[in-house]
Amino acid sequence: MNGLTNRALWAAGGALVLVAVAACTPGGGGDEGGEGGGELVWAIGGSEAQPGGVHQKVAEKWSEENPDTPIRIEILPDEADQQREQQALELQAEGSNFDVLGMDVIWTGEYSTNGWVESLEDVREDIESVSLSGAFESATWGGELWAAPFNTNAGFLYYRTDLVDEPPTTWDELCEMAIEIGEQENIGGYVGQGARYEGFVVNWLELYWSGGGELYNEDQTEVAFDTDIATQATEFLANAEQDGCLTPGFNTAMEDEARNVFQSGDAVFMRNWPSFYSVVKDGGTPVAENFDVAPLPTFTGEGTISASGGFNLAVSAFSDNIEGAKEFVVWASTNEEVQTMLATDASLPPTMESVYEDLSDDPVMALLGEVLPDAKPRPPSPQWNEISVEMQRALFPAYNGEGDPGEASQAVLDFLETTVE
Amino acid sequence: MTATTTAEEQQPAPGGSDKPAKARRREMTETTLGRVFVSPAILLMALVALFPVIYAFVISLQAYTGRLNEGFAGVDNYVTALTNERFWTSLQFTLIFTVASVAAEFIIGLGFALLMNQAFRGRGLTRAAILVPWVIPTVIAAQMWFFMFNVTPGFINSLFGLGDFNWLGQSGWAAFTIIFADVWKTAPFVALLLLAGLQTIPGDVYEGARVDGAKMFQRFWYITMPLLKPAILVALLFRTVEALRVYDLPQVMTGGAFDTESLSILVQQYVVRTPDPGLGSALSTITFALILGIGLIFVNLLGKDLVIGEGESK
Amino acid sequence: MSTPTPTAAHQRSEGKANKSRKKKGDQGVVEQKSAAQVWGKSAMLGIILLWCLFPFFWLIMTSLKKGNNALNSPNIFEGPFGLQNYEAVFAQDFHLNLRNSLAIAGITTILCIVVGSFAAYALARLPLKRKILLLGGVLAVSLFPPVALVPPLYELWRTLGLLNTWEGLYIPYTSFTLPLTIFILTTFFASIPKDLEEAARVDGASPFKAFYKIILPLAAPGVFAAAIIIFVSAWNEFLLASTFAPRNPEIAQTVPVAIAAFTGAVQFQRPVGTITAACVVVTIPMIIVALLFQKRIVSGLTAGSVKG
Repeated sequence: MNGLTNRALWAAGGALVLVAVAACTPGGGGDEGGEGGGELVWAIGGSEAQPGGVHQKVAEKWSEENPDTPIRIEILPDEADQQREQQALELQAEGSNFDVLGMDVIWTGEYSTNGWVESLEDVREDIESVSLSGAFESATWGGELWAAPFNTNAGFLYYRTDLVDEPPTTWDELCEMAIEIGEQENIGGYVGQGARYEGFVVNWLELYWSGGGELYNEDQTEVAFDTDIATQATEFLANAEQDGCLTPGFNTAMEDEARNVFQSGDAVFMRNWPSFYSVVKDGGTPVAENFDVAPLPTFTGEGTISASGGFNLAVSAFSDNIEGAKEFVVWASTNEEVQTMLATDASLPPTMESVYEDLSDDPVMALLGEVLPDAKPRPPSPQWNEISVEMQRALFPAYNGEGDPGEASQAVLDFLETTVE
Repeated sequence: MTATTTAEEQQPAPGGSDKPAKARRREMTETTLGRVFVSPAILLMALVALFPVIYAFVISLQAYTGRLNEGFAGVDNYVTALTNERFWTSLQFTLIFTVASVAAEFIIGLGFALLMNQAFRGRGLTRAAILVPWVIPTVIAAQMWFFMFNVTPGFINSLFGLGDFNWLGQSGWAAFTIIFADVWKTAPFVALLLLAGLQTIPGDVYEGARVDGAKMFQRFWYITMPLLKPAILVALLFRTVEALRVYDLPQVMTGGAFDTESLSILVQQYVVRTPDPGLGSALSTITFALILGIGLIFVNLLGKDLVIGEGESK
Repeated sequence: MSTPTPTAAHQRSEGKANKSRKKKGDQGVVEQKSAAQVWGKSAMLGIILLWCLFPFFWLIMTSLKKGNNALNSPNIFEGPFGLQNYEAVFAQDFHLNLRNSLAIAGITTILCIVVGSFAAYALARLPLKRKILLLGGVLAVSLFPPVALVPPLYELWRTLGLLNTWEGLYIPYTSFTLPLTIFILTTFFASIPKDLEEAARVDGASPFKAFYKIILPLAAPGVFAAAIIIFVSAWNEFLLASTFAPRNPEIAQTVPVAIAAFTGAVQFQRPVGTITAACVVVTIPMIIVALLFQKRIVSGLTAGSVKG
């Protein structure tokens, strides 16, 4: 008998919890959105995806032209890491809430290996024939096309026209000028993305590539890492930090920190993405009227090289409307009007080569047209994140005087070796 | 609510003649009542918290390449985790961070609490002010301190005339700034708990002591502190276990550079950034066990006060 | 150790009228203060206010800076200033985020206090076996690295249809904050003299009645301290909120998640202006809530006299 009351009381306790929980159902709920029907959902983040942004305009344009399969944007967070996490959670659960994925150029290998995205081999030709080769390469992995290039990106050298007559063509020249002018004007020299994160890897690779180094061979089956060039690149940064070529705080700067330093007149040179051109121009500081952009220097003084960035559009393998989504990504990637809109509305570098010819009046687009053919994507390997983390762990301390550049190069090589069979 | 009213009715009506039997029955029903009181909480916690722990433990025994499962792995993931030098450096930072920040938070929090417990002009403003740091979301507080400590534009440096001192860009100071931000942010939490503790100390305890002519410090040390001990232990316990899991502050302020990678950052890397569910789960389980071990020391100290202590108070 | 001396207990039972005045432990009221003491105290107050408020002041000044110059100069008084950032914040449905956060944190607080105080009372007073083990188990609940909770819970929530709902957030918040609640409340319940309750029991009150008539009011400081802590931690939680309800302010997106979704005008630009403005906007209601609760913590004191 006692046992019975006991159990009844336990049950009553449980009921209390359930009642308390169920009592407060909010108005919202429901509406998982996106499944079935004709509507497509495009999961992408960044300022361009916000209301009024260019991605919204692209979506509107498509919806007007294709009333049967209109597209709607699900706005992802601002940070790329968080965008990837939200997509990964949905895709890992094989959810059909996203049809089109805004995919950072370095995620291609990971997404395709996980079976999250549809192959676009059947529309390859439409895309390949009009896209910039670097951007196209970033959308392929294992010889197969997994996404349609949408917007690309490349690093610029921003410099002060009131202090520099001709932008430098070699890194050594850049540092000489940075130190000399910096001392004269009592400002810092060169600023870029030196904090320990993905951006630092990009900056370092631009040094390494400009010295002739490579990470892998052409089809990414063998490691082609050159430790001598790598050590040279790291030592260049280490020396630059020592002798005052880099601005104070270089090793904690990301994109926007660098922009602030340059915009407030505290640096002669800055490595940054094109999107900040308009920001500095409209910044209202004296620098606004006294700066220009140039291709990044190299170690040899010949040509230029930049790591490319940007976003490609992939079709979710779990979409309920794969064909519709495919049509959309091909359209967004190859429609001249859409691609032009990216450039004119948001200063996002388009991936369609022909667009640049008509945009040559815009100094940013003109320079991009010049730089992009030589831009290199980071290998979109499934292990890119691991590679990047290892490179940060080895190279960052080495340039900050807490490790040996040679040993750091060796560590990177050793790790790269583990990524190929 | 209805459930507990039922519980009340289960109580036998007081007043019977057989004394020992009545006492025993009361004992029985009190135990039952205790179970009823505890069960909703246990149920709610078990529902949500048990599943991930078991899930992680199961996963930690599997081998993965990327996100693809490759079968049973035994304790391989644990071996990998414990032989990784990164585990030990992040453990070291986490422990330093915990000891330093909890100690500082305790001292400052106690100071705040003693102050808030007093009557003085402007105490309303002071009390509000003390709580401000704590109600700011951690992610934002972390960004704010990053902006303030960063060399450019250098708010802190210009305030104290430190030139281009690179707080976040060198070993040692990077950890210091993270600890500083945490102390600023969380000392009010300690203060609140201790303030509540101080409020339950009866005033005449002091009156008696005052008659004895006890000095202020002695009064504090011999009367306030012992009575405050349970509140102190709870505050220290929860600050410690929180600090051992610190993530946002080092992630936002340094990204883990300059030896400021915490255990949670390491776990995050293997769970999210470079997914290896097996290794990530093993690291989580190790972290969990470690924190639980430290937490249980506190629980034992507390338990003597709370639970066993009831015997002596009779 | 934790139970006050019998005299104290006796004094407490004398009556409520006395309690509020005698309870307080402040030293300043009776003692004569020298000028040096007053100065010392004022200086200390000044330092504390500066320590707590200067960073907040920085937030306010930064939020008022116009355009993209917020982090150009270390001088916080360097303009131009304007309210644009605040306009931008409210143009983004921020009031809906405030509503969600308020509701979710509020429900969490109520659930935690109700469920937690029963458990705490049982742990502090009722003859349960293996209490230390129970306390250890309760503690264990809140110790798993948060980021490792996300993948399994996400799957579970998906299956249960709890993604993008208030329940999906306040249920886990309640579960993970209950340990702290139970610990705080158990401590406070245990420190209340047993004689009081015994007296009530002799008069025929059930344990339940004794609990809410005697224990609960006397433990009010602890209850309200716990309530503030629960509310604030639910309000500020980011990781679970950003995974379980990442979008859609009209449904369940909370304030910290909305702030993380702010973007700069162009790619790679940090939205410093809107972040700081939003932070100021959310801090003000939080301080009001905290103060309201806190009043109850120190109510005994407020009822007393204030001098100098």
